This record gives sequence, C-alpha cells and structure tokens, in this order.
Amino acid sequence: MMNFNILLGLALFICLVGLIIRLSIWFSQGTRSPAPEASAATRISAALQGVLGTIFSGRIVRMIKSLFVDLLFQERIFNKNLLRWTAHTLIFFGFILLLLMHAMSPLVSESVFSNYQPTLNPFLFLRNLFGLMVLAGVAIAVYRRLTLKAQRLRSAPSDWAALVFVGVIILSGMLLEGSKMSSYSKYQSMVEEYGSSDEEEAKALEAFWVQENGLVSPNVQLPPAPELVQKGMEVNGTSCIECHASNKTAFAGFAMAKITRPFSALLGDAAAVTMFWYLHILACLAFLAWLPFSKMFHIIAAPLSLIVKRVSGDAIDKPANLLTSRMIGLSACTHCGTCSLECSSNMFYESFGNDFILPSEKVQYLKKIMTGKETDPAVLKKMQEGLYVCTSCDRCTTVCPSGINLKELFVHARYMLLKQGMPEKALLSHFSFPLALAQNFVDDHLQALKKVTDQFKKSFQHLTDIPVPVTIGSGRGFSNTSFRGCYSCQRCTNICPVVRSFDDPVEALGMLPHQIMFSLGIGNVDLAMGSQMIWSCSTCYLCQEHCPNQVELCDIFYTLKNSALNKIEAGANS
Amino acid sequence: MKYAFFQGCNIPIRIQQYATSTTAVLQHFGITLEVVPEFNCCGYPARNVDEKAYLLPSVRNLAIAEKRGLDILVICNCCFASLQKAKNVMAKDSVLLAEMNSILAKEDLKYCGTAEVKHYLTVLHEQVGAETIKKKLVKMFTDLKVSVIHGCHILRPREITRFDNSFMPRITEELLLPTGAKSLDWRGKLECCGAALAGINNDLSHKLLKEKINGAQDAGTDFITPICSYCHLQFDTMQINIQKDSPETKLLPVLLFPQLLGLCLGLDEAALGIEQNSTISPEHIDHIKSLLGPPKEEKKKKKAPVAA
Repeated sequence: MMNFNILLGLALFICLVGLIIRLSIWFSQGTRSPAPEASAATRISAALQGVLGTIFSGRIVRMIKSLFVDLLFQERIFNKNLLRWTAHTLIFFGFILLLLMHAMSPLVSESVFSNYQPTLNPFLFLRNLFGLMVLAGVAIAVYRRLTLKAQRLRSAPSDWAALVFVGVIILSGMLLEGSKMSSYSKYQSMVEEYGSSDEEEAKALEAFWVQENGLVSPNVQLPPAPELVQKGMEVNGTSCIECHASNKTAFAGFAMAKITRPFSALLGDAAAVTMFWYLHILACLAFLAWLPFSKMFHIIAAPLSLIVKRVSGDAIDKPANLLTSRMIGLSACTHCGTCSLECSSNMFYESFGNDFILPSEKVQYLKKIMTGKETDPAVLKKMQEGLYVCTSCDRCTTVCPSGINLKELFVHARYMLLKQGMPEKALLSHFSFPLALAQNFVDDHLQALKKVTDQFKKSFQHLTDIPVPVTIGSGRGFSNTSFRGCYSCQRCTNICPVVRSFDDPVEALGMLPHQIMFSLGIGNVDLAMGSQMIWSCSTCYLCQEHCPNQVELCDIFYTLKNSALNKIEAGANS
Repeated sequence: MKYAFFQGCNIPIRIQQYATSTTAVLQHFGITLEVVPEFNCCGYPARNVDEKAYLLPSVRNLAIAEKRGLDILVICNCCFASLQKAKNVMAKDSVLLAEMNSILAKEDLKYCGTAEVKHYLTVLHEQVGAETIKKKLVKMFTDLKVSVIHGCHILRPREITRFDNSFMPRITEELLLPTGAKSLDWRGKLECCGAALAGINNDLSHKLLKEKINGAQDAGTDFITPICSYCHLQFDTMQINIQKDSPETKLLPVLLFPQLLGLCLGLDEAALGIEQNSTISPEHIDHIKSLLGPPKEEKKKKKAPVAA
C-alpha cells in the first residue's frame, strides 16, 4: 500500500503538470501572424467572460443539451458510423463506470451504496461486464484501423499505444482477479478472517471452492468428492455467501484463471497475485501520467470543443477567444481519421503523395507549427501544399466527431504559411476559386499570388526578351501534337473572350492563342510555357471548338500550365 | 430508374438548393437519386497543376458507380466534363488505365467503363421528355424572360462532353418551352462566366462576369439561369461581392432551372429553395409567382377535330 500511494502521488503529479502545460498552451500559443497578438491574461479573461456569459444567459440551454447529446450520447459519431459509435460508447461507458465503481470505490461506490462489497453482486458481475465492454470496444477500434487502412486511414504509433494501454489496463485487471481466485493464500486469509469452522467443515468448504470458485488447493484431490462439495456448499452458505458471491459471476476473471494458473504454479500463488497487481496498477497509473501528453487529452479537450461548437455555432467574434478555441480544437483531435476518410481531396493525396493533403495529418502537424516547434522549411512547404490542395467542401468540419472547426483552422494556417513561406504553385489552380468566393484574407491571397507569379516571370523567357528573328527551337516530345494542324487563320484569337477583354492584348497576355500554337510549331515550348496567356485562359474551349483544323488549344494550354509549374517547382528545388 | 447522384464539392455546402430542387423535380418523374457518400472531388480543381491528378478522382468515382451498378447523374458542368474526360481518356489510354486501376485496387475498386455519365438536363430531355413534362404541369409562366447561361464545360469540347450541339444548343430551349418561360437570345448564352480565373486573376474573372451580367440585363431579362454550379456561384455570390464596390448597379437575380420548372410542376417550395439564392429578394419571388398562370391548352388539340 505504501508503494501504491507513492506511485499514485507520482502519477497524479505528472498528470497535473501535464495538464498545466497543456492548458497554458491553450492560452499562450497560436498567435502567429496574420492573427493579432493577445496576451495570455487577455485570453484567459476573454474565455472566462465567454463561459460566464454562456452560463448566465439563454445559451446555458445549449450547453446542457451539448452535455447530453454531444458528450454522453456522442451524436456526431452516431450519425456518421454506427460501428465507430458502438466502439466509442463501449470504451467510454465501460471505462468511466469502472473508474467510478471500481478504481474510485472508496470515494464513490462506498458512499453511494451502503452495501458495497467488491466481492458481492451486482458489483462483482458488473466489474467484469464493464471490463468486457471496454475490451469489445478496443477490439472494434483495432478492427476499424486495420480494415480502413486502404481507405487512407492513417494510424500513428500513438494511436496503437492508446489502444494497447486501455487494453492492458483491463486485461491486467482481469488477470489479477483470476490469479486471486486460484490463490490458496488469498483463500486462507479469507478463511482466517471470516471463517470459524471446524476442520471437517474447513475441508468441505475448500473442496467446494475448488469445485465452484476456481481455487487451486494443495489439499484437495481432483475431482473432489461430491458429498464433500455438497457439504462445503452448506458451509459456504452460512459463512461466505453474505460477503462473497460465486466467482463464476465474475466471468471474465474466472476465465482468466486458466491463464494465471501456470504463473501461480511457477512463481507461487501469492507472488503471481503480486505480479498481476503491479502490472494492473502500473498500467493504470502510467496511463494517468501519460494522459495529458497524449491524444487521450481529448477526454478534456473534445468535450470543450463540442460544447463551444454547440454554443457558438462556429461563430466566435472575440479574436482572443478565436485563438484559444483554435488551440482547444487542435488538442481535441483524436486522430480518428474520419476527416481523411471523407475528405474530397483524398485522391489528390494518392497523386501527389503528400500526407498533409489528408486533414487528419494536417492537424497533427499544425499542433507543432502553431506552437512554433516545426521549422524545417521542407516540411513547411509540404504542409503549405497540403493546406492548399483542398476543395473547400468543408466535409472535414462537418464530420469531425470532436467538433473541431477544421475549416477555420486550415484557412488560417494556409495564409499564415503562405505569408512566411515559399511561392505556392497550387495557387494557380481552381482550388483558388472557393477562396476568392469566400473573400477571406483577400490581401494575403493577393500577396501570395504575386509571389508565385513573380517566380513564374523569372523562370521563363518572354517574346520581348528574344532577339529577332525567333529561330526554330529544339523542343520535342510535346505530347499533344494537334498544334501541327494550325495554319494561323487566327480564328482562335478572334473568338477568345479573354483577348477581346484587353485594349492591347499582346501587352497583357504576352502571346495570343495562335502565336502560342506557332511557337509550338517552331519547337519553342519554353516560350509558349512562359506566356501570360495560358494563365489568363478562362478554359471556355471556344477556341478549340471553333478551330477549323481540330487544334486542341485549350487542352494544350492545360498541358503547358502543368509543364510550367513543374519547371518552376524544379527550379525552386534546385 | 435510379442514378448515383454526383453532387461534387460546391453543391452540398454552397448550393444545396440546386441538389434539393433537382431531386424533387426528378422524383416527380419517378427518377430517384441515390446519394453516394464515397464519391469525392471530380478532380477538376487540380487540372492546372497535374493532368493525372485531375483524372484519377473521376476514374475512382466512376469505379464506385460501377460497383453499385448505377449510372451517374451530375449537376455541375465541371464535374460532368471531368467524368466524361476521364471516360474518354481511359478508353484510349490502356497504360494509364492500368496505372490508375492499380491505385484503385488498394480499396478494392476497378474501373471498367460500364457506368454512364448523364447530365440532369439530358435525363429530363431524353428520358422524361418535354411532352411528359408538359402533361405534368399544373402551372405555366405567362410572361417570364430568362437568360440561360450554359457554362462552357457542358458544351465544349463537344467530342468529350457529347451533351448537345455546342454551337446551337437546343436542350435547354426545348425544356423551357412547355413552362412558358421565354429563353432570351443573348450575347453570353454560350460564353464563360469567369469562374475558372477566380482567385488566379480576379480582375479578368470579374470582367468576364460583368460582361455577362450586362449582356443579360441589356437583353431585358428577368432572371439569369445558370446551368453550371460554378456559373451559379459567380452570379449568386461573386456578383454580390463585386457589387459592394459599385452599389449603384442593379443585381441580376438567379433562378435555377429546376426551381423554375418545379414551380410549374407545383412542387413543395421548401425543396426548391428559391429563397436560398442570395441574389433573389422576397419581392422577386412574389413577382415570379404572380407570373404563374394555368397551363395552356394545346392548340393542336383544338385543331384536331377541325381537321377531322
């Protein structure tokens, strides 16, 4: 017991320190530009004001509703996936009930139930039932992680660690119970404490316990005589049953006794009990100490995130609270991967091979970036691309079981990185369309766009830079050869809605559509790639449709755009 | 008849009314749309960056439809064109097909090319037909002028999209005819809304959009009827954004085709979601409804006894 108290104190201390660190991060980090800075004091007071403002207003109703619907029932998971909901519910209720009824019995069970005895039913049975619930939940979770791997569900070592931890806690508890059941020394101490029988009765009782309760006794030969067992049952009825129900009702522990028996035989039964006791206690306490430093911190952060979502409806007006809610959101992530499974962009992950295209992986690294821990430019560049290759479909935010406002986090992080980082080529794609529509970070977007267009200008020759006459180049291997059909009738240029938008189209666009075809015709692909025209093309396909000789102008422009981006990317990396 | 409903990325989050009104209209003609949660982006946004990255998502989506044994029904032009393009490329390029199938195999999918891609207008036009639509009408517009903007990627390139005559499209005309709404001949009908340049070259994008707004208004239209979801967002959201800079200009309100048709079919207005169009005011909605009258008797029927 001495050891236990020291270990418990130590675990609680580490847990407490961890909690303080995590909470201080909530209120102090994530203030990097372009968001305004706010001191920790300002943020704590803003958060308190928000909480009090909610409690003392009509919004308390939403808060209470959230408590039941979001936290206890886990509606968000229920609506999405019944199997996952089952797993979470089994683990959650199994674990919480074990914690209250069993681990914290002196504080909870004993004060609630006057007749509480861990060896009496229903408690004996329930302990096993709750344990089994947790194990079943863990099994489903493991199954889910294994089977959804192909659907781009990523599992980090920490995800497995959490499952193993929970599993070990429960299994070690069951093993401990099993080893106690078969332990003769445990039996003896019970008899000494509660029994007052003569030798014959003692013998009968022992036979009964061997037969019915899984006891391993050196005195009883197997199988015990039925008359003896019958007599033992009577003794059991008068001396034991008031304080100790049948071990068979502790079904999981009873089954575990089969596994523990060889250990008891090898180590001696008391030593085996001690060994399993240490295993169980160390697993529990290590879990407690590990909790604030792991994804299990979601036990605290996810409920807060869900309540904030329900109460605020993702509309947080105070900038200080916005910063804090972002940090809470980041720590509420359980890396469950639901966002990545549903992500509209997840096939781009297959093409670009960038983990950060998957929202679940973005969140993992945003934690580091927001707290300034990730500074490797190569990682940041990948992250920047991952943040940009997003169709803004908002599915991640809709499905997140922890209610994290991922969309807001990602949009903010996107422009934060673009501001500091290197030119992002994906800006020149239709991923930019919903961003232009939403009109967030308008100036930041334009600045980032300027960076990449400047790089583009630097990387290519322009018609005006080249001394006349332009000579035939060596550009070969351009995949779409339809340009060879061009006979410079200029129908494409004449029908182009972009060309007609400018008073001086050559100045604005560098080269006109028919000139680009001509440039390809003389083998100067580079010149074609460098023209502003391809980035001003509205992709309306009028030129291609009207071309009398089936030149696939618009498709060629797409190919030129792809090649140009590859070239500036290669240039940036060299 | 059942289709796998391909909504793309914009419609479920930004234009739900397009999905609900289309579903309601098609339901009215006995066509059900099955929502497929596994569908992801069509790939279109990546086309400027990487052609293969652009094609792969559509190949996957087609493989998912195949697995369900359903054809795909699309609303958005750009999704439509991406899916059609993917089908076209896969039919021609067996090396790329094998490469993509090896990626799909990881999640137990395989593209064979059996699923067809249909635009909802094609389904209304071919499968339902203007005659059936006419029979189901409970109301008809007495005087409503709309400017249809087809959007580019449904019409062109014609060998890929195979939707309608790309120079003289008639599907929208024939579908609008029974409703009594007049589809105006106007300058921007077959042209670009500027969406593809938004966020890349905003000035040019706005210029193209304004050109279309002015063109439709000059033609004396009551409403703009965009077919493509990108066009819709340009007219219904971007128009409001750019109007902030010049508040004196008149907003051109958006009325989607299934909303217009749904009113004539007497469908539940909640499903049509007309008030969710951000450019439409309650006065506009009252005005539209005031233009609804009883469906006209067919002239042919009257003539028939005379001829006999």
